[in-house]
Amino acid sequence: MALLYGLLWRLLLLLVHVNTALVSWLRVRLRSWKGRLWERAVAALLLPVALAGFPDQHKKLNHNPDATANPVTGNRGDGRRARWLSDGKALEKLPVHVGLLVAEEEPSYSDIANLVVWCMAVGISYVSVYDNHGIFRKNNSRLLEEILRQQNLLGVDGSKYSIEFLSNGSDKHNDGKQSIVQAAQQICRSVENKERSSKDISVSMLDVLLRESKNIPDPDLVLKFGPVNSTLGFLPWHIRLTEFISLPSHRDVSYDNVLDALQRYASCQQRLGQ
Amino acid sequence: MSWIKEGDLNLLEKISANVLKAGPMPKHVAFIMDGNRRFARKKNMERQEGHMQGFNKLAETLRWCKHLNIPEVTVYAFSIENFKRTKEEVDGLMELAKQKFERLLEERDNLEKHGVCIRVLGDLNMLPLDLQELIAKAVVTTRAHNKCFLNVCFAYTSRYEITNAVREMAWGVEQGLIKASDVSESLLSECLYSNNSPNPDLLIRTSGEVRLSDFLLWQTSHSCLVFQSVLWPEYSFWNLCEAILQYQLNHKSIQKARELHREHQALQQLEADRACVAEHLQHHGNGKPADAQRRQEALLHYTACREDRVQDFLEALKHKRNSFFSDLCSKPVLA
Repeated sequence: MALLYGLLWRLLLLLVHVNTALVSWLRVRLRSWKGRLWERAVAALLLPVALAGFPDQHKKLNHNPDATANPVTGNRGDGRRARWLSDGKALEKLPVHVGLLVAEEEPSYSDIANLVVWCMAVGISYVSVYDNHGIFRKNNSRLLEEILRQQNLLGVDGSKYSIEFLSNGSDKHNDGKQSIVQAAQQICRSVENKERSSKDISVSMLDVLLRESKNIPDPDLVLKFGPVNSTLGFLPWHIRLTEFISLPSHRDVSYDNVLDALQRYASCQQRLGQ
Repeated sequence: MSWIKEGDLNLLEKISANVLKAGPMPKHVAFIMDGNRRFARKKNMERQEGHMQGFNKLAETLRWCKHLNIPEVTVYAFSIENFKRTKEEVDGLMELAKQKFERLLEERDNLEKHGVCIRVLGDLNMLPLDLQELIAKAVVTTRAHNKCFLNVCFAYTSRYEITNAVREMAWGVEQGLIKASDVSESLLSECLYSNNSPNPDLLIRTSGEVRLSDFLLWQTSHSCLVFQSVLWPEYSFWNLCEAILQYQLNHKSIQKARELHREHQALQQLEADRACVAEHLQHHGNGKPADAQRRQEALLHYTACREDRVQDFLEALKHKRNSFFSDLCSKPVLA
């Protein structure tokens, strides 16, 4: 009996994988078609949205006939820049700080650089880049080079934006948890030295320490790239109110994908407990 | 209405459950039970009725989890942020909670039969005293049960929990039980309200919102996150199966990530211990650099001492927390 159930389970997983593959294929095919056709196709195939991972961002499809899939040089630069800026202004709300969470193997520097530049062009002030293995942090000079190169290609004026590399604490490989531990150690050391009492410790004290005296706001939005449905340790303290929007992959990601996600973000309503 | 719903799954549900159980199953599932008020609006009910339906759904979900052999469930019942709601709504929720905990105490024999252990996590001193006393009774009465575990987060936010853990470690330092250098990721985890539970394997949020709202931020860093658009009072067995399927699809990659994290944690602890030993040898040495063997011996000795210290501290913390509950129990119940 157990064997039968085992086989059925494997069959179920296979069906789900086929389902997901079909969805991605359709997504690519139907991108250029009208939104309604996409919804009808989905309904016809009875694809449960939940099985496609995080809620499908295509609920709000934005079809722009001028959309360029990849950055191109030339004197289209001015038009594109103005368009990006106006896209940003057209949104009801724009995140101040976006996190790019790469939950897949073999990161692509040029695609991430594109994403960073688009975010800046649209009017987002802070962008954080994170991956599970700390690859981007270890190779941050290479990423910086790519970003500068993309900036030039896209004609975005680099002098207006400053790119600061913020490490998540110290030089050692660490994630958000380690910076919380370091803040805790600092506090406990001051208690050991009788500089403060345990009763003085408050949420705001810990918060201030974790901000490391840079007034960077918590991420409003995290764009998660890849099939893994987890934060993989990204800044646990700072993501308490962060919206998570999932995209299938960061490789060959387009500006429209990002704009879709930003539009979805704009329609989220935060009640803040009330 | 009762906390425990009896009854088996129907045939189709049983078959589906057995198929799912052929794969890796989460041992601890966390729920953000969102959508009660929207449900009430949708059905033209009173808000309070929406919350009651939400509670019923919780009881039903626990039944499904039992049949799926999921031994531990954590739910987000009331956030510290929810105190910002209207006095009427907050009082209504407190009253509902009181009723439910009173009901729970009435059912204690049934809870013993099913081996249900109830824990309440949060900054409980923010709650009205009579509710605190009921909670304490529920926790103490079911403490020894060990077949399945329900953790209710009440007056809880993750940031308060983490801050409280830091405060406890600082208390440990003040009492001379531990040193500041003993503070580590695993020690902080042991000081959280949830220290008796493993980290959740799966976190489910209903009603379509895609944020964590200050819930178990530390514990879910490597959990599978599933956001479902169904409103909580409308949650079905099939919604739960979908979420578990998601968990199974992500299982391998998340396990890999957890392993990686564990390795780094171990490495960090080793480096921290080495640094302490090096400092110690420098201060107490006679100027000559110590040889490798002496360093290794000192390291092993230091690690053993640190672990003993930490154990004593955790015992003291456990005692402090148990006393908090038993003190509340011995107070006369307010009329």
